[in-house]
Amino acid sequence: MTLVIDGLSKRYGQVVALDRVGFRVEPGEIFGFLGANGAGKTTAMRIVLDILRADSGTVTWRGRLSTELPRRTFGYLPEERGLYPRMRVLDQLVFFAGLYGVPGAEARRAALGWLERFRVIDLADRRADELSKGNQQKIQFIAAILHDPEVVLMDEPFTGLDPVNVSLLRSAFLELAARGRTLIFSTHQMEMVEALAGAIAIIDHGRLLTGGPTREVRRRAGRPVVRLAVEGDPELAWVSSLAGVRLIRPGPGISELSVEPGTDPQSILRAALARGAVVTCFEIADPSLEEIFIELVGRPPDDGVSVGAPAAVESAA
Amino acid sequence: MSAGHPDGSLLPNAGLVARREYVEKIRSRAFAVATAILIAVAVGAALIPIGLRALDRGQITRIGVVSSDPAVTARVVDLVSAYLNPVPPGADPATVRGHYRLSSQPDLASGLANVHAGRIESLLEVTIGPSGGLDFTFHGNDGPTSATIQRLQVATFGAAVVEYSQSLPHTGPGLAFHLPSFELQPTDRGPSVAPIDPGATASRTLLASVLVVLIFITLTVYGMWVATSVASEKASRVMELLISAATPRQLLVGKVVGVGAAGLTQYLSILVPATIVLALQDPIATALIGPADPGEAPLVGLTLPILLAFGAFFVLGFLLYAFVYAAAGSLVSRPEDIQQLAMPLSFVSMAGYFAAIFGMTAINSSPVAILSYVPFFSPYVMLSRVMLGQVDAWEIGLSLGLLIGAIAISAWFAARIYGAGVLLYGQRPGFRTFLRVAIRPDGG
Repeated sequence: MTLVIDGLSKRYGQVVALDRVGFRVEPGEIFGFLGANGAGKTTAMRIVLDILRADSGTVTWRGRLSTELPRRTFGYLPEERGLYPRMRVLDQLVFFAGLYGVPGAEARRAALGWLERFRVIDLADRRADELSKGNQQKIQFIAAILHDPEVVLMDEPFTGLDPVNVSLLRSAFLELAARGRTLIFSTHQMEMVEALAGAIAIIDHGRLLTGGPTREVRRRAGRPVVRLAVEGDPELAWVSSLAGVRLIRPGPGISELSVEPGTDPQSILRAALARGAVVTCFEIADPSLEEIFIELVGRPPDDGVSVGAPAAVESAA
Repeated sequence: MSAGHPDGSLLPNAGLVARREYVEKIRSRAFAVATAILIAVAVGAALIPIGLRALDRGQITRIGVVSSDPAVTARVVDLVSAYLNPVPPGADPATVRGHYRLSSQPDLASGLANVHAGRIESLLEVTIGPSGGLDFTFHGNDGPTSATIQRLQVATFGAAVVEYSQSLPHTGPGLAFHLPSFELQPTDRGPSVAPIDPGATASRTLLASVLVVLIFITLTVYGMWVATSVASEKASRVMELLISAATPRQLLVGKVVGVGAAGLTQYLSILVPATIVLALQDPIATALIGPADPGEAPLVGLTLPILLAFGAFFVLGFLLYAFVYAAAGSLVSRPEDIQQLAMPLSFVSMAGYFAAIFGMTAINSSPVAILSYVPFFSPYVMLSRVMLGQVDAWEIGLSLGLLIGAIAISAWFAARIYGAGVLLYGQRPGFRTFLRVAIRPDGG
């Protein structure tokens, strides 16, 4: 009853886009798929959708190979947004739903419902090239889910949306998941993953670095984070002299410190008090996903630089 | 897609794609403009025979006459000339310029030499029998059904009658009238083909050229429509959504059928006014250049078989080229890059077009016959053979059969290239990419 991605490998000439990647997504789960540009996320999604064939490995959903599943099983929001520029919004939605087998009248009704919900009902008769980027993105999201797919794959669904639309999309996510739909999305915005994703996978250079339930991944990282604030000392320069402690995110208010395994976080508090500082905040927490990501990948998730992939392959990977 | 895949069937998705493509195409302004221009061209083509007749009227056919007796020659020249160049009632004979100029030739050898040198079109040889009866041999390339020959037969019969009547003794019974024979002796030494009236040949050649040009333009233009449409779906990135909703085969067939239907719509909107002009050709000719002369060659225009051949080669030729153009379009990232891939393809198209145009002068030669079976050329070359040469039904059948086979093969290859090509971005478009993807669609 799960989406099982098992040992996927894919090469483009000399470039390895995926190297034996495997993970599971439970039905009704919201799953965060994380990786820098060129990590292999899009390639993996395309293989799940069966628009690209893996060199080896399989994808199964409810025990059936993805190559044997009808296309309407899946909904897809590609990273590169695109609509027919000169076609009316409602016509496009009905057209795409039609390709997935939804009868015209039903598609129309469902499309109008979603347009209403996303507060863009007045755009139904407008041409796509007259729409703002954010509105186009909402239309594309509707196009991906209008046929009510069992699994929705979304590449960067939140990028380019303003906070109001982000929250509209979030509630749509939660509602779909509550109805038993399985959602897989990639994003650079880690706070969105923390807020929404019950499970994650992080890949880099085509290899799975870590994966599993979000809470477990954070705990497993085994490297707690200390959030510390000291009155009158925003720099916390003295921290770097402590063994096994690193200032990873200095802040005017609260700063974040990483603590090497084997180092007692309490030693930081003791050191601060020993200096006679007034500690206004001291918190030991699991590392954030962002920290785990940086730790594993070696750079922040929104660092746009992709490594080692020639231009032709970059967009395909 | 593997056999038994739930998305394996073409319908309804290919139909949805075709309908969307069709509606978008025929609603566009470019479509309206192109259609209007082509209607003007077609109506012009339909008027060509009338123009040719007008030209023909100003043309003079030179016929030499030769016999063993210069006096008989002179009388035949006068009589035949008077018959061939009638003076309309009420017109002054001095101002009427006839279409036929007859001249006496000193002997058969020099007369034939003049024909070969092109100083006269044909030679009428008069043989005087032992009893004074006349027989006629026509040395020329006019066929037995041509207007010139039909009128000459009547004229020579008249000349024979006059000659006979003058030879009658004034008293007593004379010799019985010798019924003159009239023989045709083709002068060219080319392959023996049922000769076509030169006037009709000129008119048909022009019409064939117009149709071949029309098919060349439409195949190239509609082919580019397909390629541009695929490439702009890629450029606008709507492709990724499409390819996850429908299979490459459904998308490809839908696209080709949709654009083809738009092309056919254009073709029909051209055909209707052109056909009206053709149907009304005689009234229009009468209005423009006056009534037809008696015995004037009938207007040779578009006929139903020609239209059917054009329709068949247009549709099949389009399908063949469209699949290749679609595959080419799937490999470029921007519509501007299509030219690079379309270039080799338009060379192929142009080769067929030139073969058809230049082949018209040697329409029954074997290179032309061979080219008329080669799929990428046959839409042009077979069409011109159908119009100008002698083609057996099996030849047309073979040509069409090979064309249909080639369409199936190109559709299969195109689906392969398309499935892989639509996801490739940033590739240098070129013929090598095309071949590489055709051979190994899944990367490598």
